[in-house]
Amino acid sequence: MRLRQPSVWAPIALVVVLAMFPAAFPDELNYLGLGFLTFIFVTLAVAWNMVGGYAGQVSFGYAAFFGTAAYVTAILWSRYEWEPVLTLPLAGLAAVAVSLIVGLPCFRLLGPYFSIATIGVGEAARVLALNLDQLTGGASGLNLPLSVPSKPWFYWSGLALAVVAVSVSAWMRASRVGLGLFALRMDQDAAESVGVNSTVYKNIAHSSSAFLVGIAAGLYVVYFSYGHPNQVFGFDLSIGMVLMGVIGGVGTLWGPVLGAAIYYPIRQLLLSQSNLVAFNLLVYGGLLIAIILFEPGGLLGLIRRVARR
Amino acid sequence: MYEPSAIAGLVVTAVLTAGLYALMSYGLALVYGVMKIINLAHAGTMMLSAFVVLTLNRAFHLDPVPGAVVSAAVFFVLGMALYRLAVRRVIDAPPIASLLLLFGVWLCAQNAAYLIWGSEDQSIVTPYTFSTVDIGDIKIAVSRLIPFGVSLVALGTLTWFLRATDLGKAIRAVSQNALSARLVGVRSERVATIAFGLGSALSAFAGGLLTLLFSFNPDFGGTFQLKSFAIIVLGGLESLPGVALGALVLAVVESFSILIPGWRGSLINLLAFSILVAALVLLPGGIASLLDRRGKTE
Repeated sequence: MRLRQPSVWAPIALVVVLAMFPAAFPDELNYLGLGFLTFIFVTLAVAWNMVGGYAGQVSFGYAAFFGTAAYVTAILWSRYEWEPVLTLPLAGLAAVAVSLIVGLPCFRLLGPYFSIATIGVGEAARVLALNLDQLTGGASGLNLPLSVPSKPWFYWSGLALAVVAVSVSAWMRASRVGLGLFALRMDQDAAESVGVNSTVYKNIAHSSSAFLVGIAAGLYVVYFSYGHPNQVFGFDLSIGMVLMGVIGGVGTLWGPVLGAAIYYPIRQLLLSQSNLVAFNLLVYGGLLIAIILFEPGGLLGLIRRVARR
Repeated sequence: MYEPSAIAGLVVTAVLTAGLYALMSYGLALVYGVMKIINLAHAGTMMLSAFVVLTLNRAFHLDPVPGAVVSAAVFFVLGMALYRLAVRRVIDAPPIASLLLLFGVWLCAQNAAYLIWGSEDQSIVTPYTFSTVDIGDIKIAVSRLIPFGVSLVALGTLTWFLRATDLGKAIRAVSQNALSARLVGVRSERVATIAFGLGSALSAFAGGLLTLLFSFNPDFGGTFQLKSFAIIVLGGLESLPGVALGALVLAVVESFSILIPGWRGSLINLLAFSILVAALVLLPGGIASLLDRRGKTE
């Protein structure tokens, strides 16, 4: 690693600046909360991109991982009085277990069939969670203990998690796994013929990304002290992950980070303003249509095209 | 515990539901057949059409059946416009582009419905909503019988159109082999435009008929879309008999699910999802061969 390269020092500088924010403004609780949730969504977008971008398998079912992990943390914390932080690795592992249950059969499908199957998986998980009310609180949700850590703690944990997610993603891109995934995305048959085992590679990417999503989900549910199947298993979470990737630039390292950093604050703005909330879906739908038609590379693709001129 | 008449009642319900399911799924199968894309805007079309039928019903006291015909005509035009303006550009892109594009259209449709009609649940009550017909010991709801009959007529007309008319033959030719169809002079672009319009019209027609049975809001359509996917995947994606068979399988499984001990009505949508995933995974040969064919024609 050479520190002089902008691709190395710029992210480090960014993280240092971001990390100093709570120390400089400890009373800006709203912004600290917004920062935390943005970091959570950065983690989700980066994790989703490992499968949706690197492997080219667009999944609409990530809420199944998020919801399962969120409930693992919620139940261990509220019923068995675990420290919330100690539940996080288990939440991640639970998400990995779900990712294998989903991935082992569904990765036999290609392209759009995989995507359609994941819509089914995500919705099935939500319906199941709503009906297992002994475990999940069903339609009334699960109230969790109110004694949560401070806002700066969440902010720093979220930032740390996002840094880990981006690092894993960067490592994956450069590794044998990433190269294998790129090859699979181009032409699965050709890649397999030169020895890339598509099932193994796709499941490695899927499980790594599920683990990150699971930890993010655990932190998320602790932050809100409340879990509801329609929230943590919600289809809009899955859609959000697709949108963040597509907006920023699918398959790139920084695209999902950019996409999440734009998507989440805008989403909060749209949802908090009563005169804007009515246009919520129109904004996302319109963006999706415009990006697919005019700039399939997302914002990063647009920036590169402008820079080349 | 299970009397013969109760079982017979379940069978009748299943068959009646299957008719509507087949109609609802055939639009998807038609679009898939001709241009090998999956129309994720299907749910949005069904939902918007339900609201169009509602508006016609409120304004002119128009019954949902003629209302659905009007709505189908409207969405035939809208579907062709959507194809010309947007879908056409992503036909040759990787399949995920059309999926995301049409998903964006679905989101916009939902938002339009929120803005125009609000988010409340709506339903249409007709003079026959609560009436039943008795055949032997079995009571059949008229509101199920009518969509079934109308669906059969529509599917019959469609079969005749695809078999007997030049345009219908051209549509079938393109879905069998697009390149060969072009070689013998079929204007595939025009055929695709009409097929997309026709697919949208079928979705809209089905959405209009669904108002006889279900209440709806702007989120309506998502579960029916997944059911349609399950049906066309079961049926092999393109053929009308296949779609009818898939519809029957799903409807029978759904009807008979109430016999499972400890079953809850709210779990019913789980069935379509499970069938969808199981069919996709367990019938990989059929799907893979379809993909292969696509690869060869390009």
